[in-house]
Amino acid sequence: MKEFGAILYNELIKTIRRPRSFIGFGVITFICLMLQGAFYHDGKEILSFVTGQLDNIFTVEGKVLNGNLICFVVLQTLIVQMPLLVALVTGDLVSGETASGTIRFLLTRPASRTKIVLAKWIAGLFYTLLLLIILGIFALFVSRAIFGTGDMMALNSEGLTIIRGDDINWRWGGAFLIAFLALGVVSSLANMLSCIMDNSITPIVTVMAIIIVFTIIGMFDLPSFDVIKPYLFTTHMISWRSLFEDPVPISDIVFSCVVLLVHIIVFVSISIFYFNRKDISA
Amino acid sequence: MKPLLFFLFCCFSMRAVAGDDSKLLIREINKKFAQVNDYTANVFMKFDIPGVKMNSLNGKVFFKSPNKFRIRTKGIFFLPKQNPLQNISTLLLDTSSYTSVISGYEILNGKNCAIVNIIPLTAKTELILGKFWIDTKNILILKSQITTKNNGTLETNSTYSSLSNYTLPDKLIIKVEIKKIKIPKMMSGDLNKIAKRNADPNALETGTIELVFSNYTINTKFPDTIFTEKGE
Repeated sequence: MKEFGAILYNELIKTIRRPRSFIGFGVITFICLMLQGAFYHDGKEILSFVTGQLDNIFTVEGKVLNGNLICFVVLQTLIVQMPLLVALVTGDLVSGETASGTIRFLLTRPASRTKIVLAKWIAGLFYTLLLLIILGIFALFVSRAIFGTGDMMALNSEGLTIIRGDDINWRWGGAFLIAFLALGVVSSLANMLSCIMDNSITPIVTVMAIIIVFTIIGMFDLPSFDVIKPYLFTTHMISWRSLFEDPVPISDIVFSCVVLLVHIIVFVSISIFYFNRKDISA
Repeated sequence: MKPLLFFLFCCFSMRAVAGDDSKLLIREINKKFAQVNDYTANVFMKFDIPGVKMNSLNGKVFFKSPNKFRIRTKGIFFLPKQNPLQNISTLLLDTSSYTSVISGYEILNGKNCAIVNIIPLTAKTELILGKFWIDTKNILILKSQITTKNNGTLETNSTYSSLSNYTLPDKLIIKVEIKKIKIPKMMSGDLNKIAKRNADPNALETGTIELVFSNYTINTKFPDTIFTEKGE
């Protein structure tokens, strides 16, 4: 266990210190600040696209443009891009060392290959968690500091749901937890491909390609795609949005979480299985 | 020839009486409106709007004659553009802008009501037709249908109790006809949601806003700043 702890600590330090890790932090900070700036200047105009359908009949009263809405928009925007940032780091954890040859030195340590691959997987999850914490700080807390708090007008394809301000914090907690689970799937997939492939670019590009293809399938309302959608992990990655429905579809959310967990278990199992049989002597 | 003339005379006489009756009813209603210079009340709002899910909300309503109106509350809520709490009294008090006629009688909630139609005298106004069901015994508007050029038809149903002398309702149900709100997937970000098919996107549905009032205070002369200051 002590040996595993040492490897894990080493992997965490390696992961965080890599220059590409900071690309993710920088991109998230930049996107959050950029969107906040855009909403600060043109927020009412942007909102009119949404409330336009109501404008003929209703006057919308109350503070619609607030920190909660900004966070919802940012999270919605970034949840599509964040897997790419996660894959950029986690898709390289094993294959990068394989390509550079340092994996052979790592394997000379007494720890089993399973422990090594698990340590790398946990380091990948830790990086994902850090990304989400930065996102949470900028998207939620900074937005609330700039725009204030209040009721949130959540948008979905079926219409609008107004979530009352005093009923929202637990939803954010749940949303970030589900987002972590969703990005955990991406991290696990990238780690698995990183174990299978021997160069650092291919796993990253493959993860991106998978996410893009799955997302496109999810976007189209075609009956043939509707059959496939429930089996794609990208379908369940945005289940955090369901927490902002009224009533909250608990069973759907639990099902999505189970699907995401199963994906993680399968990807990690394949990683361990493949890495244990991988020929690294050459 | 004589019976025909007599019949026509009766018809015109009845029409004139109906017109006069409507003016009388409106005059009585306006007398009640005129008693209220301002009021505040607690309001409980309940929403049932197609395509909008929204929990009920408590707030405080402020009104000052002729048409200053505000609801202060901590949250987001929707009110019809042609707000009946603001518009009905303004509309009826301006007696020079319309003509009225009783188009019939109807029993509403066990009360005999005259149906008074309000027709604007010029085509320039926003109003097309106002229809009011006025309780002939207590002189209260129990129901109204206001059709305007830009906002369609808005229906209200009012219930009164202690402050009926001031025409201040305990409960007001506002009904509006709207198309169900649809937000494009790309805008909502709801990419994986399977759309419900065979739904007519242009079908009109009825939205309801229920307002329940309590703790009225009348003619307290509160300051006008209440309508302009940034509040909750």
